Amino acid sequence: MSGVSTAAYFARRAAQKERVRILYRRALKDTLNWAVHRHIFYRDACDLREKFNANQDVEDVDRIDKLIAHGEAEYDKWRHPDPYIVPWAPGGSKFCRNPTPPAEIEILYNYGHEDNP
Amino acid sequence: MALRNAVLRHLRVPVQNLAVRGSNQSQIGFLGSIRAFSSHDDHLSKQDVVDRVLDVVKSFPKVDPAKVTPEVHFQKDLGLDSLDTVEIVMAIEEEFKLEIPDKEADKIDSCSLAIEYVFNHPMSS
Repeated sequence: MSGVSTAAYFARRAAQKERVRILYRRALKDTLNWAVHRHIFYRDACDLREKFNANQDVEDVDRIDKLIAHGEAEYDKWRHPDPYIVPWAPGGSKFCRNPTPPAEIEILYNYGHEDNP
Repeated sequence: MALRNAVLRHLRVPVQNLAVRGSNQSQIGFLGSIRAFSSHDDHLSKQDVVDRVLDVVKSFPKVDPAKVTPEVHFQKDLGLDSLDTVEIVMAIEEEFKLEIPDKEADKIDSCSLAIEYVFNHPMSS
């Protein structure tokens, strides 16, 4: 494939690399959701990494697209129904729980005794 | 009786001082978002953040601990893969109990960016 190293090609490859990174990140988090115990998680994370590494040298742009689509389909299939979300993040248990009071509200420390200096 | 009151007036902390301290508290400004008895009080110091991030990076098996400095770039200086960068960012997320959105996490490429992000995040602990 001659003359393919144009800016469009590199832009497409960069977009694909970003998709791969985000897919790997989500897949890793999902693996942690399913495999809570660390020793199981490490084994599964290694397997996931092997799957990604096996395809890392592919140069054909269309084949890369197909592989990414296949990976995303598999990720969708394996998504955890109750993922761990950090409590204060949207979806977590502490989200919007104790909002900071507005700045106008303040505590009067000498309520009832304003007359006494 | 008057003597007792006079003595007590000396010993008692005048309410005036408490009111002044109260108004000082409300003038903290940005840090006024700190509430008393809230669990969000532990804002980390920069040195703390740097130490913990470097520890996380050094304990990564593919990284040579001697090369890790606060300005090191994961892919250029440490010779890591982009997937390794993803793994390091996830480890930092777990260390500081953060939730980094995917787009932001993609941009974290070096130790200095990571330290800056964690330090400026209001919820890192």
